[in-house]
Amino acid sequence: MTEIKQHAFLFDATRCIDCRACMVACSVENNIEMDKTRIWVSGIGVKGEYPDLQRGTMVYHCMHCDHPDCMSACPVGAYTKADDGPVTYNPDLCIGCRYCMNACPFGVPHFDYDKGIIEGAFIDKCTFCPQRIYNGQEPACVQTCPTDALEYGERDELIKKAHARIAARPNHYIDHVYGEHENGGTSYLIISHIPFNELGLPNLPETPVNEVSEKVMEMTIPFAIGWGAVLTGVAAGVNLYNKKKEKAQVEEKAEESK
Amino acid sequence: MTKTISRRDFLKLGTASVGAFAVGQMLPPMVAKAAKDSGVLNAAGDGHISSMCEMCVWRCGLIAKIVKGRVVKLDGNPDHPHSRGNLCPRGQSGLMNTYDPDRVLTPLIRVGKRGEGKFRPASWDEALDLVASKMTEIKNKYGAEAMVFSSTHNLSQPLFENLLYAFGSPNYGTQRSLCFNAMIVANTMTYGMEEPARIYDDKLKYILLTGRNLLEAISTSETHDLIMAIDRGAKVVYLDPRYTKTASKATEWLPIKPGNDLAFHLAMLNVIISENLYNRGFVEKNTIGFEELKKEVSRYTPEWAAPLTGISVETITRIAHEFATAAPHALAHNGWRTSNFVNSFQTQRAITILNALIGNWGVTMTAGAGEESGTLGAPSQPPYPRVSALRLDGVPWKYPVVPFKIGVFQEMRDNIVSGDPYQAHGWFISRQNPVMSLPDRGKTLKAFEKLDFIVTMDIILNDTSWFSDVVLPEASYLERYDPLVPIGDKVFIRQPVIEPQGEAKSALWIYKQLGERLGLGDYFQYKDEEDYLRQQLAPTGVSLEEIKEKGFAEFKEISHAEEAAELAWSTPSGKIELYSDTLAKVGFSGVPTWEEPPQPENGQFYLLTGKVAQSTQFGTQNNQLLHKYSDEPRLWMNAQTAAKLGLSTDDWVEAESPVGKIHIRLLATQAIRPDCVYMTPGYGHISKGLKTAFGIGAADSVLHVTYTDPISGGQALSQTFVTVKKA
Repeated sequence: MTEIKQHAFLFDATRCIDCRACMVACSVENNIEMDKTRIWVSGIGVKGEYPDLQRGTMVYHCMHCDHPDCMSACPVGAYTKADDGPVTYNPDLCIGCRYCMNACPFGVPHFDYDKGIIEGAFIDKCTFCPQRIYNGQEPACVQTCPTDALEYGERDELIKKAHARIAARPNHYIDHVYGEHENGGTSYLIISHIPFNELGLPNLPETPVNEVSEKVMEMTIPFAIGWGAVLTGVAAGVNLYNKKKEKAQVEEKAEESK
Repeated sequence: MTKTISRRDFLKLGTASVGAFAVGQMLPPMVAKAAKDSGVLNAAGDGHISSMCEMCVWRCGLIAKIVKGRVVKLDGNPDHPHSRGNLCPRGQSGLMNTYDPDRVLTPLIRVGKRGEGKFRPASWDEALDLVASKMTEIKNKYGAEAMVFSSTHNLSQPLFENLLYAFGSPNYGTQRSLCFNAMIVANTMTYGMEEPARIYDDKLKYILLTGRNLLEAISTSETHDLIMAIDRGAKVVYLDPRYTKTASKATEWLPIKPGNDLAFHLAMLNVIISENLYNRGFVEKNTIGFEELKKEVSRYTPEWAAPLTGISVETITRIAHEFATAAPHALAHNGWRTSNFVNSFQTQRAITILNALIGNWGVTMTAGAGEESGTLGAPSQPPYPRVSALRLDGVPWKYPVVPFKIGVFQEMRDNIVSGDPYQAHGWFISRQNPVMSLPDRGKTLKAFEKLDFIVTMDIILNDTSWFSDVVLPEASYLERYDPLVPIGDKVFIRQPVIEPQGEAKSALWIYKQLGERLGLGDYFQYKDEEDYLRQQLAPTGVSLEEIKEKGFAEFKEISHAEEAAELAWSTPSGKIELYSDTLAKVGFSGVPTWEEPPQPENGQFYLLTGKVAQSTQFGTQNNQLLHKYSDEPRLWMNAQTAAKLGLSTDDWVEAESPVGKIHIRLLATQAIRPDCVYMTPGYGHISKGLKTAFGIGAADSVLHVTYTDPISGGQALSQTFVTVKKA
């Protein structure tokens, strides 16, 4: 049996010219409505004071984490992490609770407030273009990039490539591949000349956040059962009290009517 | 995260009346019949078709994905040298031009007053008969020269030229004098060619960009080349009063004072010559006029240039040293929209000569592979009638060195207004938007008032069609054939990937129909579009079927690139002309010389315009996908200057020039010189037929004053000065 290689994106901020071809390509490929997007630009804009200026932008979509927080936060299992990279979302299972939105450290999943529960598909995010990658094409954002700021390939190879590029021009880059270890590793890797936090990326520990949160979350079911028992007891007590009170009132009225 | 494009930005479209559709919800499908017949599409209308982009003039190869007869995605064609598998945002959005809900899908005839925008739909027969009868009437009454023609760089231009030259008019306007006349004329005078090709190989070490904002005014393959050169460690020095996205990637950004690029380059020549840093062998063998040049530039020292440019003596000297040291692996880029000041021709001459002095020919520059159709056949046609009337654009009687085929567009407009040397009565405008592109919009509208008849050909009701008497709906570039174009040893095709929507027709069809109605059928000897292409291919041995399938074909006989690189220049002397006798004979300086540019007075700013990656000139602002990802057009002003004027970002301001005023929102930014303001052209539409773009931003053409460079005929687009105050 052949080993399934994990695939990833590599984004090089030194090459990104903020042209937004990736955003348009994604919108067309995935038929995204005109008031929505799955790719964003973040960064420092123009920083400094004329004429000592710096500019840096990053495009990002779902980071396709190895340990997806969206997935661990989802109470109904609507998220899946595939062995070859993609974190996918199943709209049929989604109940619209938006826990994933709060859980994601990158602010990626977006809730569609225009749609009701019946219409479904509440959350919108990058799919990794399965219709393309399983048909021998690169994801839409990658293929169109006029400056190869976005690349696609096997994650191990991209990590090697990223380090090689940094080593070749150490003054051109910060010596770090974001996403190699952050949050336990992601399938969207970033190299940059601008500090990563200034590009808008959170400082995340190497231990996935959800390794901690999952332990807590594992407690929720026993806790919920226990809490449920307490609540049931309280409800029963309240009910009993109400019935008694009702009975008393009925008796009172009966007294008055005499 | 701090998003520079936030989700909120997208609400602007969601709330707009145009509706927030995804592309897939647009018009009903139209299967490309030819593609289906040839088996490229299956019975359901699914498949992939190769063609060519037309979102700008770079013409990338594309592969259109067709599902049920609808184009759903465009990808770059990896086999095409201009796209290499990539497309820029405009190329990616191309299908939205085709599926624009504002498309004009039937011929229109004006019923209201001009500019009221009231039209009635008409049949092709009625519209074409009307156009032909009006043109004939004008010809009979005032002569063929009273009919002026204009069109912008495109593949069907040879047929457009057939139409006007066969009709007998000398009056032909192109967009070039609003763009790169300075560069073209300078290269022609120096190298005997319009634009040498640039070579970005692995050895390229030094790139000098003079206002060539290559990372925003994207030419897909060259933009890629530049980024890869930077990646390999090449040094990029970028001159621009604005901190553009290109500036941010350059090794060194020099915010030069507008109009003084000439001083910078003259000083470069001065240092390189006075310190003997030039390639003596190359110069002696391949150039003429070195001594005249040496004498002229001896007075342009870095000390002289520093106060003019705002760049220090040390920096100018160092860059000259670095450039010469990197030779021959150095390149001084001419730039693209090069007509900025009336001295821009001299700037362009200085740049071309800078390259010649370091002998980078055949290393970083070469003869362009060219898009000449000489290798292809063409339908036979009779010679054009002799025309004796003067051209309204002053070529050559006022502009002796401007080539006929590029002309001086703004002068033609001016002389429609003045009626001198004769009065024009009709204007045929194809794929062009002079109301937006020509300087001084008020004057262009005045020119319209002088005309009995205006006909335009376009895919949408742009600002110029809005003022037309007849609008002929052209098929979009995804719906039609265009004449084939060779690039190097390959020939590429633009073919319909879907059938034209509504009644839209190809230019090849429209020009032929009109030609026949004008009694000029002999100039259009082809049955239909495919027949025209077959006649083009006849001498090559390549079949149309072959080229349709792959999107391109290789010529059986390969033209040798080496031959093109051989050191022969089609100048009068056969050498690179540092001194041009042609220029001297008509009274201009034979060598590049200093011409002092005008300066803004107190309280005035240089008005700069430029490109963004999400739009092309004046024709793509109504594309919903580009609109979605564009920044709101603002007037940029240096933040410190704005603070002094009590202005801040988002303020509504009034900008006023000697010819007009606009209202626009301000962007206070560090990214521009304190003495400049900047705006992105292409906004501030008059036409209410553009429902996405209407009401957004303001038009630079309202403000631009017409100043023409007497040598190259270029419109000086940065020479307008404005005042700015709170609206």
